[in-house]
Order: sequence, then C-alpha cells, then structure tokens
Amino acid sequence: MFSKILIANRGEIALRILRACRTLGVGAVVAYSEADRDSLAAQLADEAICIGPADSRRSYLSAPAVISAAVVTGCDAIHPGYGFLAEDAGFADVVRAHGLTFIGPPAEVLERFASKEATRRLLEAHGLRTIPGSGMLRDEAHALEEAERIGYPVLIKPSAGGGGKGMRLIRSPRELESSFKVSRSEAKAAFGDDSLYMEKYLEDNRHLEVQVAVDRFGHAIHMGERDCSVQRRHQKILEETPSPALTEAARQELCSRAVRAVVEAGYENLGTLEFLVDARGDAYFIEINCRIQVEHPITEMCTGIDMVAMQLEIAAGEPLAISQSDVVSQGHAIEFRILAEDPGDDFRPQGGHVLGYLAPGGPGVRMDTHLYPGYEVPSYYDSLLGKLSVWAPDRAQAIARGDAALRELLVDGLTTNIDLHRAILANQVFIDGKVTTNLLDRVGSAAFVASGDR
Amino acid sequence: MPQLRNGVAAAGPGAKALDPRAERDHQAISRLADDLLPALIAKLSASGLGEIEIREGEWKARLRRPAGADRAAPAAAEGHPAPGHAAGRGPAASHGRGLVEERDEHTLEEEAEASANLPIVAISPAVGVYHPRKDLATGMRVRAGDRLGTVDVLGVREEVVAPVDGVIGLSLAEAGEAVEYGQELIRIELPENAHGLDAIGSDREAAAVLGEA
Repeated sequence: MFSKILIANRGEIALRILRACRTLGVGAVVAYSEADRDSLAAQLADEAICIGPADSRRSYLSAPAVISAAVVTGCDAIHPGYGFLAEDAGFADVVRAHGLTFIGPPAEVLERFASKEATRRLLEAHGLRTIPGSGMLRDEAHALEEAERIGYPVLIKPSAGGGGKGMRLIRSPRELESSFKVSRSEAKAAFGDDSLYMEKYLEDNRHLEVQVAVDRFGHAIHMGERDCSVQRRHQKILEETPSPALTEAARQELCSRAVRAVVEAGYENLGTLEFLVDARGDAYFIEINCRIQVEHPITEMCTGIDMVAMQLEIAAGEPLAISQSDVVSQGHAIEFRILAEDPGDDFRPQGGHVLGYLAPGGPGVRMDTHLYPGYEVPSYYDSLLGKLSVWAPDRAQAIARGDAALRELLVDGLTTNIDLHRAILANQVFIDGKVTTNLLDRVGSAAFVASGDR
Repeated sequence: MPQLRNGVAAAGPGAKALDPRAERDHQAISRLADDLLPALIAKLSASGLGEIEIREGEWKARLRRPAGADRAAPAAAEGHPAPGHAAGRGPAASHGRGLVEERDEHTLEEEAEASANLPIVAISPAVGVYHPRKDLATGMRVRAGDRLGTVDVLGVREEVVAPVDGVIGLSLAEAGEAVEYGQELIRIELPENAHGLDAIGSDREAAAVLGEA
C-alpha cells in the first residue's frame, strides 16, 4: 500500500478520498486551488498544498502543477477523483514517468478505452449489445447517410465528450443539416476534438450502470447496478440501487455479462459500464467510466464495500480481497445530488455564501459534502454541494427515509434542488419505478416542482 | 518542506462566528490589501497614468494620483519612476495618493496612510522547488519585473519576479525549499522606509488597519 498520496481534486470527493486514506492508514496531501483555500478538505487534511489559481486549467487540470505538488510533498501516488484529470491517459502516463502511481486504470488501459466509439466496438466484440450507430462522421453528407440507415431520431455525440456535454437530439434531416456544423464546433471548443459520431436515440429509455472492479491479475467482481434514469439534460440528479426495472435474473445476466466483457477486454481498476435499457428490457452498452463515480455511495451502502479503499488497493497492485460470492447486496439505496442551482429557474447555477448548514441523520442516512456554515461556494467549479444517500431494507422505506432526510437537510443562503428531490419522491411515476431519462425534461422541472407542492 | 497548512487550528468551520457579511467584507479587504494593492500601486507608478481602477466581485479599488502630482509626473516622464513612488509608502505616498474603496455604492474612504505598512513580497509562481538568484542579497536594489529566482516545476523553471521597485528585504523561504503556489518568498522594502524594517507589519495587521477605517 502507498505511504502517502496526493488528492488532486476538490469538494466532496476530496473529502471522500481523505476518509479512505485515514481508514487505510495512508497519509494524504490535499492539493487545492486558491479558490479552495478555505475548503473543508484543505482544512481537515494533515497536509494541504496550493497548486495554482482558481482557474482549473492552471490548478486541478494542470498536470505539471499536480505532479510537482506530489513530488515536493513526498507522495508516492496521485488520486485524481472524478472529472479534471481522472480519465486522462496522457496524465496517467506522465505520473508514472515521474515514478508515481496513478490511482485508476493504468495509462494503456485508459488509452484503450478513451474513445467511446472504439470502446463500443471492443466490448461488442466481447459480447455486449450496443446501440446501432455510426463510425466517425466525415461530413454532413456522411451524417445524413448514416442517419437514414440507422433511422431517426438519432443522437449526435462528441467522441471525446462526457457528462452529456455537446450531445444533440436530431429528429429529421432538416435538423441534422442545421446543427451538424454547430455540434462540430461545440465539440472542438469543449474537448479540443471535433470528432462526432451518431447513434440511434431510444425514446423512453432507462439509464443503468454496472459497477465493476478488476485487479491487475484479472480477478474481477461486479457490485450490482445503479439506476440513473432520473436526469435532466443527460445529467444524473438522483440514482438508486437496485434498479426497479430489472428482475433478479435480468440483473444477474446483465452484471455478469458486463464484468466478463471488461475482463476479456483487458480493463483494470474500478469501472462503470453504462447501458440504456429500452421499453422491452433490452440493455445496450453505451460507455465505460474509468473512475470512481459521483454515485458510488449507494453501492457502498448496499454492499458494505469501501470502494475508494478498494481502488487504492488495486492501484497499489494488491489482488482483490474478495470474490464475487462475497459481494452481497442488501436492501435499497437512493442518492440525491444536492446542487446549488434553482430548478424553478431553469437550473441556473447559484454560487454564494452558506449561512447555515445542517446535515440530516437517522438510520441509513449518509451525507457526503464539503459544506459548512460560513463556507463561500466558489463560482469557478461545478454546482455539486454534496450527496445525500439513504439506505433501507426495501425501496418503499428508502423513499420514506429519503423524504425525511431531505426535510431535515438545511442549506441556508443558497438556492438548491432539495425541493425538486422531494417532488420526485412524491411523483407517482417515480414511486412506480417507471422513470425514464426524458421525464424531467419532458414535463419541465419548474412544473415538476410546482406539482410536488400540491 | 513546503509551507503546508495544518488548518484545523484557527480556521476550522466552527470558528467562524463573525457575521458572514462582515466577514466577507473583511476577506475582500484582506485580499485587496495582500494581493491587489501592491501590484496595482506598482502598475500605477510604472505607467504614468493618472488613475487605475480594478474590480473584483462587488468590490473595486481605485488608485488616483492627485491633480498636478508634481512628484510622480516628472519621474514618470523621465522614464524611470523613482522607487519611492512604486509602492505607495512613505511620506511621498501619503500625500501623493488617495485610495478609494467602494462597495454597493457606499463609499469607504481610505487614506493612503492606512496602507503605509503594507508588506510587499515576491511570491511563488508555481508549486515546486525554490532557487533564489545566486547574487541575491539583502539591501540589493531591484526593479519591478526583475528576476529574483526561479521555482523548479518538474525541471521547468518558472520565474520569481519583483512586484515593485525596491530593496531586497527578508527572505521567507530557503534555497532548495519546496514551495506552494502563491507562497511568500522575499520581502521587498522601499528605500525611504529601509531604516524601518521592523515597522513593516504583518499581512494581518495591514488588513486590520484597512478594515477598521
């Protein structure tokens, strides 16, 4: 195991990693930007080091700054968290060149799974069904041709993208003609790469993901699935496990197929395979996330596994300490992403000063957050304030506990989406377990919150 | 080892009992005093401009030469501003400049005397290993922009530069020491003030002076 690692991230995930380090007896240095000088992670850490200004390109996204910080503080590994440099094969490679370990998949593995399009073909060859799609789109004429073959509606996606950024739903050749060039320049601006591909858009789909872990020796486990169907604009806001859409047999089939495919394809470390599930229950593989994910706590609550600790052990070259039969998922868990934004006002991000903060409690309640009273939420980064997760023996009780915890949670001074979460829990479609990814966008979130008030 | 913070002590979440608004103001003033003013003063001196204003959030700071600033103007005209004008300290500065800070349209007048004890420091441009210039010595005169040393970032040298014209004062970091981004490395004193090294207050004191005005 490592003696000391650099935590190259911020917010709640920096804290989460710090906690894993402490339970493992591993030293930790929190790298922070000037805007995060007063962050909870920087304050709680035994060591913290300022790596650059607020602008993440010169701090959290700067490979030299991050690696230099690790070197001068005597760390032997770097944990990138999620976002920022977490899935950057080039970064992982440079980290290794400096004699340090990247806590995540090795550089070659990240490289192999870097292109979504190539990954889909790779895992298709290893037995996963994929959504009918195109290769890289050469030009508009090629795009029109491919859309005709696949059948409208289609989604245009940047190959280098992530988190739903730059995706565009196209329903007709006319729409395709008017937005192809825009999509290309958006992709270029956002990711520095204007490659686009296209795939069939599944109306009324659900979004499921399978959590896997693979060690250096090819031993692998899955830790069940998460249902991330509650989204707006392709961004997850509430996740639960297990998925109410799967029977036990379908779950076993999906998870074991997923873990087999990634092992055969040479994956290593924690990973998440994302699937879209259509109305018939067919699961189509869409992408793999080569990192710890925001929504990992619900899997931890049901399985009792410390996934960040597991991630460190795998990166340190240790074999998995458990096998598939040791993974027992119990009960039901739901995570609510608490965001500093106003659902009643088109989800506009809200920065500002936290006047008061009070975490909920009770059985099966977990709060992952970097908030504290008096904290100034910097406007430079994302709007995630924290994650409230609840666990209960079954889904109905988890919903009840979730609502009770949301009522208790106090974030004074900021506009948050807490009310939206309560409205979702009270919504009959959600209660019935039938949410599809387009529900919030179709109804309109303001209307959704308003309907919850009644 | 770098100047790492063991932050649980003073700044723990529970310790913030101040009225949030007052505290935010205090932080803004602190930031103005520590980071912005020295740079701004240096810019104003070097430029020969009559007035400079910058904004950050709801704050703005404006530095203005008095009408017919007979002391600054000739120096600027000669193309080498006198060191004394560089940092807004000393007798010339206290008569020569008005400093105005405003927030929410409510004007907070600050006399230049309030900033008389502002420490001016050269800071680290990056996280890495600090190497001061070999010939660097206390009492040496430097110009704004002069290279005072480097910070080695994985073999790439980033320059540490003097923020203002002045005289090299106290070294705050050792050669070969690991430093973080923004870490204070070298105090820069002003010649008129050189006799009063001890009078240079800490950052906190300077901020407090500003805050009380």
